[in-house]
Amino acid sequence: MKLAIDEYASLNSPFHRWDPRYKLVGLIILIFAFSFIRDLRLLLAMVLVTAAIYIISGLPARFILRWLRFPSFIILVIVLTLPFLSGEQVIASLGPLALRQEGLLAALLIAVRFACIVTVGITLLVGTTHLLNSIKAMRALGLPLIMADMALLTFRYLNELGQDLSLMLTSMRLRGFRQRSLSPAGLRTFAWLSGSLLVRSYERSEWVYRAMILRGYGQSSRPQGEYQARPRDALILGAIVLTAAALVAGDVLLGHNIAAILQ
Amino acid sequence: MDEILEARTLQPETTRPVLTANGVWFSYPDNPSVLKDIALEVMPGQRVGLIGPNGAGKTTLFLVICGMLKPSAGEISLLGRPVAFGKFNPQVALVFQNPDDQLFCPSVRDDVAFGLQNMGLPREEVEARVEEALSTVGVSRLADRPVHHLSEGEKRIVSIASVLAMRPELVMYDEPSANLDIRSRRRLIHLLQSSAETILVASHDLELVLEVCERVILIDEGRIVADGEPREIMGDEQLMEAHGQEKPHSLIPHQIPHH
Amino acid sequence: MHIPDGILPIQVTAAGYAATAAVTWYSLRKIKQKEDPRQDIPKASLMTAAFFVVSLIHIPIPPTSVHLVLNGLMGALLGYYAFPAILIGLFFQAVMFGHGGLTTLGVNAIIMGLPAIIATYIFRLRKIGNQESPRKNGVFGFLSGFVAIGLSVAMFVAILLTSLPADLNAVVEQAAIFALAIAHLPLMLIEGVITAFLVVFLRRVRPTMLDSL
Repeated sequence: MKLAIDEYASLNSPFHRWDPRYKLVGLIILIFAFSFIRDLRLLLAMVLVTAAIYIISGLPARFILRWLRFPSFIILVIVLTLPFLSGEQVIASLGPLALRQEGLLAALLIAVRFACIVTVGITLLVGTTHLLNSIKAMRALGLPLIMADMALLTFRYLNELGQDLSLMLTSMRLRGFRQRSLSPAGLRTFAWLSGSLLVRSYERSEWVYRAMILRGYGQSSRPQGEYQARPRDALILGAIVLTAAALVAGDVLLGHNIAAILQ
Repeated sequence: MDEILEARTLQPETTRPVLTANGVWFSYPDNPSVLKDIALEVMPGQRVGLIGPNGAGKTTLFLVICGMLKPSAGEISLLGRPVAFGKFNPQVALVFQNPDDQLFCPSVRDDVAFGLQNMGLPREEVEARVEEALSTVGVSRLADRPVHHLSEGEKRIVSIASVLAMRPELVMYDEPSANLDIRSRRRLIHLLQSSAETILVASHDLELVLEVCERVILIDEGRIVADGEPREIMGDEQLMEAHGQEKPHSLIPHQIPHH
Repeated sequence: MHIPDGILPIQVTAAGYAATAAVTWYSLRKIKQKEDPRQDIPKASLMTAAFFVVSLIHIPIPPTSVHLVLNGLMGALLGYYAFPAILIGLFFQAVMFGHGGLTTLGVNAIIMGLPAIIATYIFRLRKIGNQESPRKNGVFGFLSGFVAIGLSVAMFVAILLTSLPADLNAVVEQAAIFALAIAHLPLMLIEGVITAFLVVFLRRVRPTMLDSL
């Protein structure tokens, strides 16, 4: 299981160079601002902001397309069914199905919010920062040490386990197991496969614990990466916060009403 | 390109043993007498090989020496002081059999720095020592790699760097050449031969033990069966076979010379 | 069972984060009260990684396939670590696979994590009465898995349907709830059954794992 998420994290754009702590704060503020928007007239503004961030980050198009190409199943279902199930005003009929205006607009709102939040989130959190550094930045911002340690250890061993899983599946297939079968015996096999992974992890963790203690884990509070913020980092954050504030203010002033476009 | 492994200078001579063990016994709750009456003394700078079949107690002995396991009887001292169970002691280091058990930090640099940070060293010193450890073992170019992108051999070498960075006096290696390819194994042997610390090497790779160690201890079923000159012990075919070993190929006199 | 970004209003997502912060704070407090949490942290972390990887296995349920969640088992094995573990697992799922969401991380953690905590208690009940048999372990394992998923599905459906930025008339809403519930019933049964098999397996192979952290 290769994690390809970090492949563009070493490029060089203003967002790549942005202090990860500020990046995290800016990211949270912006995506929550996006989730606040209900007025359809602001959707265009949201898309423009998102596009600007993506372009400035220098990431290739295929990176984000990988994320957006297969949107979550739930989004698909909602976006495809809402237009036919919600609202009173029918704007078109295709046989027995009636396309309703409110539902269509709601679906549009959901789809655009989803795409923009995911794009900004992934760009800033993963596309322009090594995931590891994002976690360390969280630590610097106050994430409890236990959570940070757990996250780093989990991250470290995900890949090993992914490989272990592949090996075990291969070994099972070589001995005739078909993943297509659903039967009590098949379920039991899945249980045993999962159980083996769990036991291996449990046993390995005892060694990891020893390795950590032998090198002093828990001795003293380890110093976290020292971040040196530059004025530019605060400026970029300021710009993001202003953008977020403008969007939110705009939405409130325009009525915070999803059907506003109809007036 | 392999970087040249730096030769390191020897510590000043002292006559105090690095490790002393007397009458050490150890039992697991479900496995009695894994170690029986172990007694040994290791002087500074010695390179000792530990050989014996699986289950003989080599790994257990290492864990007892570094304070991870508490002996049921007997005394162990390191550098003149009794081993404190569960306490952090950067003077002794253990390189695990499986480097994945040892390298638990996501990046190489973080892992090598881990012990140093826990020693309370200032940041500049930590950075300096990390660079030093990485270049000593010859893997400076891997410093910023995620650990899961390394090969087996690279992981092994990095795990060695991560303990050497703490500048221990005694380093114990548990099956260091397992799963290594030829080149990595040769690099490991070179590293062990140029080590300035006192080292204990537990290994099934008898040829490596012959090349690296000037003293060999044969352990079987928790007891020390023989302790002395490598060629003498490993050349004794009867002794070796009685304890699940074989005479290393290089010690076998050749009737038909083929090399 | 993961709610993606873009659907929920900010009141719900913010409340989700607040609730998650509170439960996490409480869990960490309980963890710190233990004698030596250092020992359990590697255990909990590696198990989190294992659960993450296990959730990538897909089980075929014609016509599609599902992924195991196993939050019931996580509750049973990890105790107070279950909620932080689930939160961390969800974070990685969101950033590595786009499964779930960033604004909805808090809400999803509550949906998955609270039932896990309940499962911890359900699983502990297997100790009442004196005999400790594989069958009893299996039954309580099934219950932990089944109930945990059931609660997650219920919370998921409730939050989703009440938060859509659109009005569904009552009939449609009821039909949706009904359909979603029915659709998830096979999943609940499978999770229960697999959790039961897992508990029996672990009891045979490494019984100490069943004494939760």
